[in-house]
Amino acid sequence: MSGSAPEQLKKWILDRHPEVPDIEPDFDLLENRLIDSLAFVEFMLLVSRLSGEDIDMEDIDIDDFRTLHRIEERYFRAGVL
Amino acid sequence: MPGLEQDKRFVEILQRLVDKSVDGYYNPYREFTWPDSLPDDRMWMSEDLTSTYGTEVEAELSPAERCRLSRWESINFYSMNVEGIRELIIEVMRRIHSRGFEVPSDFFHHFIGEENEHMWFFAEFCLRYGGKIYSGPKLNSIGHKDPRVENFLVFSKILLFEEIVDYYNMRMAADDTLHETIRKVNRVHHEDESRHIAFGRELVGLLYSQLAVDASAEQRRDIEEYLKRYIVFSLRSFYNPQVYRDAGINDPLGFRERLLADPARRDAERKSVRKPMAFMLKAGIFADDLLPTA
Ligand SMILES: [Fe+2]
Ligand SMILES: [Fe+2]
Repeated sequence: MSGSAPEQLKKWILDRHPEVPDIEPDFDLLENRLIDSLAFVEFMLLVSRLSGEDIDMEDIDIDDFRTLHRIEERYFRAGVL
Repeated sequence: MPGLEQDKRFVEILQRLVDKSVDGYYNPYREFTWPDSLPDDRMWMSEDLTSTYGTEVEAELSPAERCRLSRWESINFYSMNVEGIRELIIEVMRRIHSRGFEVPSDFFHHFIGEENEHMWFFAEFCLRYGGKIYSGPKLNSIGHKDPRVENFLVFSKILLFEEIVDYYNMRMAADDTLHETIRKVNRVHHEDESRHIAFGRELVGLLYSQLAVDASAEQRRDIEEYLKRYIVFSLRSFYNPQVYRDAGINDPLGFRERLLADPARRDAERKSVRKPMAFMLKAGIFADDLLPTA
């Protein structure tokens, strides 16, 4: 995979939803089921891998994963990416 | 859901399963002997059931590391049961004695009662020997808007989950390299689950045949795709990075990636879902046996 981490996340979702042309930063991924309960763990682990942050699976705030914007704020705000 | 009561075969099978439940009734709180500890120089899970089996990564682990990993993988397996049972009890509870479920409600009493007991002995094992129950993020799945489809999906997922668990239970119950307490937990669970699985296959087959009458090709394809994703999701739960971390493995996420990328794992996964895949194909729910790559 290439591109910045947030771009890679977007690509991961789009690859699984060929019917979706693009995702706006504030589009609710969970409400709109682009990430459903079956995809969530895999997606969360991808965020963890790309951000290098050890995410505690048992203690996460689901809302941090609601939009691409929120994910970027929460996990990729170091500015080095 | 009209029609369940009209199916003579279903009604007869239910009666037979309920009778078996009554005859085989046991007190789970007295059934097991729980030693203070289990030997840590032996495997806690059959080697061929561990998530490293057959891989290049496995060859890099010492026998002691494999034992340690098998301990946490077994705690993960029983934890998956605790988590899965919580969900399935909730779903069955929502339906018992409600409209459309008059016929299986008597069976549901046994099902809920037995699952409550399974959850107890699995949790007991986790807490006694692992000091914890693994858990994951709780993202509510949004129900399907058509209640007929939702009912079908709920019971299909319960069946698939029970079938995958049963593959592990049967193997470990028969594995004489494992400690007797481990074998017994798996054996007792398998005995109860054989009834649940027999029931699940009947109900899922019936619900599908009712649905299929007026479902479009697209709806059927969506159902197939969703349930296949559920299978892959369930298989992936066996590769838990928390387990790898607890087993002292460096870079748990990288370790997991390497395992998932190893072709040897596809064979092992296929074996564990062989029976439910064959059922889904035979029932016409699946058109082919391809699985998505998650
Ligand atoms: Fe069970
Ligand atoms: Fe069961």
